[in-house]
Amino acid sequence: METVVTIVQVLLGLGAVLALIRAIRGPSLADRIIALDLILFLLAGAVAAQSAREGTQNFVPVLLVVSLVAFAGTVLVARFIEWRDTQ
Amino acid sequence: MNVARGVGAGLMLAGTVFSVLAAWGVVNFPSPVARLHAATKPASLGLALVTLGAGVAAGSWALVGIAGLVAVFLFVTAPISGHLVGRAAYLAGHAGNLVYDDLAEADSVPLRAGEPYRGGFSSARWVGMVVVWMLMWRDASVGTAIGGAAVAAVVETMRSSYPRGANRNPRGLVVFFWRYAAMVLSSNLRVAWEVITPRNDRIREAIVAVPLQTVSLPAALLVANAVSYSPGTLTVELTDHPMVLYVHVLHFTTTDEVRQQVALIERLVGDAIT
Repeated sequence: METVVTIVQVLLGLGAVLALIRAIRGPSLADRIIALDLILFLLAGAVAAQSAREGTQNFVPVLLVVSLVAFAGTVLVARFIEWRDTQ
Repeated sequence: MNVARGVGAGLMLAGTVFSVLAAWGVVNFPSPVARLHAATKPASLGLALVTLGAGVAAGSWALVGIAGLVAVFLFVTAPISGHLVGRAAYLAGHAGNLVYDDLAEADSVPLRAGEPYRGGFSSARWVGMVVVWMLMWRDASVGTAIGGAAVAAVVETMRSSYPRGANRNPRGLVVFFWRYAAMVLSSNLRVAWEVITPRNDRIREAIVAVPLQTVSLPAALLVANAVSYSPGTLTVELTDHPMVLYVHVLHFTTTDEVRQQVALIERLVGDAIT
């Protein structure tokens, strides 16, 4: 189980690096928020994998908060893009 | 026990593969809305599988239950953020190279809020929620009761101003969720395949207007959600008067094909809720 969790976390970290490339390159704000949203998803996955390694439920609030923040943040930025566009 | 750990490890690895492919798609796809296809479908299935696998591997039913909650939350919210970001990207002029575009000549009317929930504020439900809150905290002190009363009042106030729920048909719901799961899987495999094969020349992006037959708001929202999880399509706008769904397509061939795909989903939804 240790090995599997390590593999999962390394791969998810790799995915986060890929998403970071898109977040840096852009070119539009929409691209960046898509990439940052994905990074939060990957982070939540890595946290969930850690709870399998340690066999604890202590990370559950983290999972819930990360998925909530990812959603709220994405909606906020999407609204901001539309608002900025109509200015 | 060992079986559970094996299954859990398999689920986590499968979820990881989908998550990494989502990241690769976000880097590789040609336009923001195309990248949303990758960021919406495989990313939410990937995270759902990883959390579910973690719960199974840890052998904890509580963790599996929470993972299920996280998964439901993801499958409700991912298409909403996809819809909002897709529409924002389109309005900001970053829609990419569209071969066909119905949204350009749309006169968008905001979606109505729906008729208010008929029951209004229910004290019985409020007290019930406080009891559940105290049970969840396993604490019957006054402080817990006050905190619970505050949270329950907020929840019930929001609920009483929320659009009225739909009439449900249990048999239709079972069929719908079965087909929904199949759609999630096949759409993920299709996006994954598109990510793996390196050339992007088969991507022909388009936005197609699909008039909906239904007039029920909950049914329209469920169609909008399911369309985002069906292969190759993503909801980018839903307008009212008339109710029209604007669907972004990754592999555009004909408008009729898209409309038939949505009509099939709408029929499934219509059998489940009205």
